[in-house]
Amino acid sequence: MSVQPAPSTATAAAHEVALRISDVGMRFGGLWALSEVSFDVERGSVVGLIGPNGSGKTTLMNVISGVYKPTTGEVTYAGKRIADVPAHDVCHLGIARTFQIVKPFASLSVRENVAVGAMYGRYGGKRSTRASFERAQELLEIVGLARIADRAASELTIPDRKRLEVAKALALDPDVLLLDEVMAGLNATEVDEALELLRDVNKRGVTLIVVEHLMKAIVSISTTIVVLAEGKKIAQGAPSTVLASPQVIEAYLGSRWVKRQEQLKEIEAQRAEAVRIQPPEATA
Amino acid sequence: MSTASTGAALRRIGLGGITGNRTALFISLGLMALLLLVPMVLPGYQTLFRTILIFVALSYGWNMIGGYTGYVSFGNMVFFGLGSYCAALLSAQHVDNVVADVALAMVVNAAFAALIGLPVLRLKGHYFGIATLGTALAVTDIVGNLDFFGGTGGLKVTQVDEAHFSIYYYAAWLVAAGAIAITFLVARSKLGYAFVAIRENEDAAAVLGISATKYKIIAWAISAAIAGAAGAVYARGNGFIDPSIAFAEDFNVYPIVMTLLGGTGTVAGPFVGALILSGVNELLGHTFLKLHSLFFGAVIVLVVLLLPRGLVWLIGLRGGMRTWLKSLEIYKA
Repeated sequence: MSVQPAPSTATAAAHEVALRISDVGMRFGGLWALSEVSFDVERGSVVGLIGPNGSGKTTLMNVISGVYKPTTGEVTYAGKRIADVPAHDVCHLGIARTFQIVKPFASLSVRENVAVGAMYGRYGGKRSTRASFERAQELLEIVGLARIADRAASELTIPDRKRLEVAKALALDPDVLLLDEVMAGLNATEVDEALELLRDVNKRGVTLIVVEHLMKAIVSISTTIVVLAEGKKIAQGAPSTVLASPQVIEAYLGSRWVKRQEQLKEIEAQRAEAVRIQPPEATA
Repeated sequence: MSTASTGAALRRIGLGGITGNRTALFISLGLMALLLLVPMVLPGYQTLFRTILIFVALSYGWNMIGGYTGYVSFGNMVFFGLGSYCAALLSAQHVDNVVADVALAMVVNAAFAALIGLPVLRLKGHYFGIATLGTALAVTDIVGNLDFFGGTGGLKVTQVDEAHFSIYYYAAWLVAAGAIAITFLVARSKLGYAFVAIRENEDAAAVLGISATKYKIIAWAISAAIAGAAGAVYARGNGFIDPSIAFAEDFNVYPIVMTLLGGTGTVAGPFVGALILSGVNELLGHTFLKLHSLFFGAVIVLVVLLLPRGLVWLIGLRGGMRTWLKSLEIYKA
């Protein structure tokens, strides 16, 4: 009997697919909010999901987190099909999300809001009330809400509500965290703090899928960017390459802008050509 | 640190955590203890106070589904009615034990609530309210038309002799005290947080791992069991049951108004509301025969306008008049 060599965990972890979106389509009445969207999310990576308004980013978040059941296609998490798993069971698997339109439990305190997540989230009600409140306290310190932990959630400002939303999602002890515009409405300093927090969370081994309109933020944090436009995936890759892609620019700035740029480039090229063919008179 | 923070969360400003205001709770428990003395001190008022205790229990029953999970039920009289029929049917089988009545009523009602809850609790808001009302009316008619339940003629419930009659008072007291205890335990547990999370936002609750259907059914089953227990004790104390008594509209509407007045989603609220309104109702009922229903109407309107969070909230209020005015919808408009 030979001793099997242990598989190299380092390389396995680097390429392990955590979440696979394959051919996902979502139809609302006559409108396909998503169609044929496929991509893989590697464990430990940060995937930035961008696209113009109405491109289907939030719909995709809802499909992954089990709020919507996709019309076509499949979502697999760690090799398990999860498209049919209801929202309240998805978090037991280790997938957590925040809502773009924040949904705090208004009459509960900030601390209680987070503690509810810790109670029911990953461990499905097996964690004690006391342990849940301890976990909530830790998370409130991490996101910077500890000093207002006993206020009613309804009293919070928008940036603090966003923080609460992140703390609630973290209370589920997720392996994959879906963040839907958690930086919208924050000022420059607050965005930097938020990025710092997300990097820290990612370093602890949590895979992030980040929806954000703030390009600077998304470029600085993402390892991969996926671009949606009108429900279709139009680009995927490293941030710098994706943002330079003409399709992406077209989706954001319109076809006329792209055409104008092309015309300008052409004129530029013609000029250069003219200069090359007709060298300056000086040589004559 | 840990226990301190848990405690702080429960003592939160104004709202006092999901158990509600502590002062109000202590006052309620004190008054509840005093009520135990009624058969000895005020034997002539036993029937009155027994009815009050039954309304206390019914209010707690409604508070569990309407106050904690926020699903406003207009059909809780069904559980009261079925509970009282449990006692009557046991009596017909010559089983005359109030403990058996209560136990059977609780089991039957919890099972019935879970069964009809599966379809009905999928509805939200007004639709849920209408569905519960419809269920209540349907069950009333079914019971009234089946010989097994004695039809509209009703059923006699065997009672103990006059000398031991106060056991029904103590039974009612125990049911009310049990309802308070259950509410307190639920509000302090993970179950209570699940109920409140569902009330505040069902989608957000689901994403945090709370199965809304499961916990709504649990809440409704508890609610039904409490109402059923109240019904069983009422039937024994009354000695006779027919559909118009068991499914009387009073047992449906009064507990809702009482809980609203005291404070929905709190542990003390239903007791405070039930005590005050039963008392006033009794006084008015003696003086003006039919005018007391007008009074109830006025209370509903005033509470909704001026005290949307109930009296218990007012006791714990900090910041006085200003905070109170700020909390009012009519003031905002």
